[in-house]
Amino acid sequence: MKVGGFIGRILRVNLTTGDVKTEPINWEWARKFFGGKGLAAKYLYEELSAGTDPLSPENMMIFMTGPLTGTVSPCSGKHVVVSKSPASCTFLDCYAGGYWGAELKYAGFDGVIIRGRASKPVYLWIHDGEAEIRDASHLWGKDTHETEKALKEELGKDVKVCSIGPAGENLVKFACITNDLFRQAARGGIGAVMGSKNLKAIAVEGHGGVWVPDIEKFVDVCKSVIDEDVLGREDDHGWAITDGTPIIVGLSQGTALFPTRNFQTGVFEEAEKIGSDAVKAVTVARKACFNCPLACGNITLIKEGRFAGTLVEGPEYETLALTGSNCGIGDLGAIAKFNLLCDRLGIDTISAGNVVAFAMELYERGILTKEDTGGLDLRFGNVDAYIQMPELIAYKRGIGGLLAEGVRTAAERIGKGAEKYALHVKGVEYPGYDPRGSYGMALAYATADRGCCHLRAWIVADEAFGDMPPYTFDGKPERVIFLENRNSVKWSLIICDFYLVDYPVMSKLVSACTGWDVSPEELKIAGERIWNLTRLFNVREGFSRKDDTVPPRITTEELPDGVAKGQKIKLEEFEAALSRYYQLRGWDENGIPTEEKLKELGLK
Amino acid sequence: MRIVVAEEGCMGCRYCENICSVHFVDEFRPAYSAIRVVFELPESHVMKPNVCRQCEPEPPPCAEACPAGAIVKDEKLGIYVVDRESCTACGSCVEACPYDAIFLPPGAEFSVKCDLCGGQPKCVEWCPRDVLRLE
Repeated sequence: MKVGGFIGRILRVNLTTGDVKTEPINWEWARKFFGGKGLAAKYLYEELSAGTDPLSPENMMIFMTGPLTGTVSPCSGKHVVVSKSPASCTFLDCYAGGYWGAELKYAGFDGVIIRGRASKPVYLWIHDGEAEIRDASHLWGKDTHETEKALKEELGKDVKVCSIGPAGENLVKFACITNDLFRQAARGGIGAVMGSKNLKAIAVEGHGGVWVPDIEKFVDVCKSVIDEDVLGREDDHGWAITDGTPIIVGLSQGTALFPTRNFQTGVFEEAEKIGSDAVKAVTVARKACFNCPLACGNITLIKEGRFAGTLVEGPEYETLALTGSNCGIGDLGAIAKFNLLCDRLGIDTISAGNVVAFAMELYERGILTKEDTGGLDLRFGNVDAYIQMPELIAYKRGIGGLLAEGVRTAAERIGKGAEKYALHVKGVEYPGYDPRGSYGMALAYATADRGCCHLRAWIVADEAFGDMPPYTFDGKPERVIFLENRNSVKWSLIICDFYLVDYPVMSKLVSACTGWDVSPEELKIAGERIWNLTRLFNVREGFSRKDDTVPPRITTEELPDGVAKGQKIKLEEFEAALSRYYQLRGWDENGIPTEEKLKELGLK
Repeated sequence: MRIVVAEEGCMGCRYCENICSVHFVDEFRPAYSAIRVVFELPESHVMKPNVCRQCEPEPPPCAEACPAGAIVKDEKLGIYVVDRESCTACGSCVEACPYDAIFLPPGAEFSVKCDLCGGQPKCVEWCPRDVLRLE
């Protein structure tokens, strides 16, 4: 079978037995779930037993591309890594840009499914339709940049690498996978899953191609979409070209939802020092992922001060918010250095910023003392202590050992009321938008299928940054559902978040690419189907309404500053919105998809 | 005529590579591209496409080195192009090129050299930042 955009082959690797084999992609599933999130979720749902320990050999890691990956379709440079999360024990899907995903297809595979645990450190070398498991004892202990460099020296300069750092090796609950130096599959501890398998890296190189049935037509479609729908919509995409995500600092600060000092306020007195203009002042180049005309990335070089010489792609908004303002840090050089340390050690900056801010607050409140911190004066804004944290966490040294478990587990172990200061849903730390300043985000975070996530439904763009009234749940369940469904199918093709593509254009792209007749309506249903499938996965793991929560700080404390002053989420309003969300979704009052809904979506 | 690359402005999207490969093999297959973005990360932020300079004076080193006489002048364009029929994929041109701007993918039956897409280079048309221009 030959379908445009697809290679048609999946690589299966069992690290316990050393078995490596190739199989045809499941075409029935591909037609229904396309690729990326949806297809990987289907494989995971069908093949992973409920209750599997995420860090056991039985857990699966699925690296997946979509039909558009490797083609000239705009903003299609991402791949996804799917597993069961060691942080939340939910479904987990992590997206990373760069070049790795396209290279995997050129190397002859749509995806890689990994199980088992190698008896010693190994890496996977995938090249032109073949794959081998190789010894990685010389790489174990190296950071991600050292690993990438060593593998390029070993295998060739054009090899694309994704790898874990010491944090993944040491099973830090928010360890990430870094690829192409500065791109991460970041959240939910996906790097710890890789570490638990003794899998240090996957190196890929391919000289093959991606075929589409009518390439002239498809290329024309892509060119017109780039010109008219991506670059032509300046209001929607101009920010990515001129600024990138740091532009959000100004928006969040202006709407008083900019996480500051562990979400104690939404206004940071030093916001300007870490805002977009400040980032622009140290930007030396803009950076794109594979075949993206937007190039939202900023390569920055700190030229002065203690952190002079630090070169990093970033910091992105989430890093500026969580490792910056949320830790009381207004020194852009320090944030860039922290960012680089996290990338190299292999830690998610969102969760890292959260755990450090959490510890800082406990320290200031006397719940943690100098004895606990190993002598560190862990005050908000203290760069000296702050900059040591990534290493302490990655190597689980001192206080880092506790924080490496994430805020939920750390709070449980500390006791003394520490859970009041732990901002998370299902054990995954809060992203950079305080929902008290944009209520819909509380619903988005609570219902996110991988644990707390801002990307599934970035409704803050519609409310606090847009036209919807921010301090009410009216109309929010509808909007959150729309966004969750649309993104589910968008991330299956895979198209990047930052291209605001609608169903008709997605339909045009995927139809021209595959040769299938895929209508906008079909994509809409597929999105809903995929969201219900990941919910089903979580329900099978025991999740329900009781887990779709808002942290105590958000429901008990009012925001003290700025335009959102006096705002908090009223629990009864949130619960009512959640009920409405379930009802609109066709789920029961406990958040379980009904038989009727599952039949309607072809999931039963 | 040749493609001129601006010193700055490339952001590494590699559209030039991917669209170039379509011209040569009707697939998205950057291994068959005559233009390649060179990265120096993380040591330096510099990214820059590398493409054939269409060397002067004639004949260019690649044509001189070709034992099969397969790199021939296209009189219409005034540049040297690879004649796929007579190319034996021996790789002599790759070794001779002083700019590493001619390519022989593994298993290829011909070497890949910029032919300006017959006069309207796709990379120039597709570069989202106007880093490339035809001169």
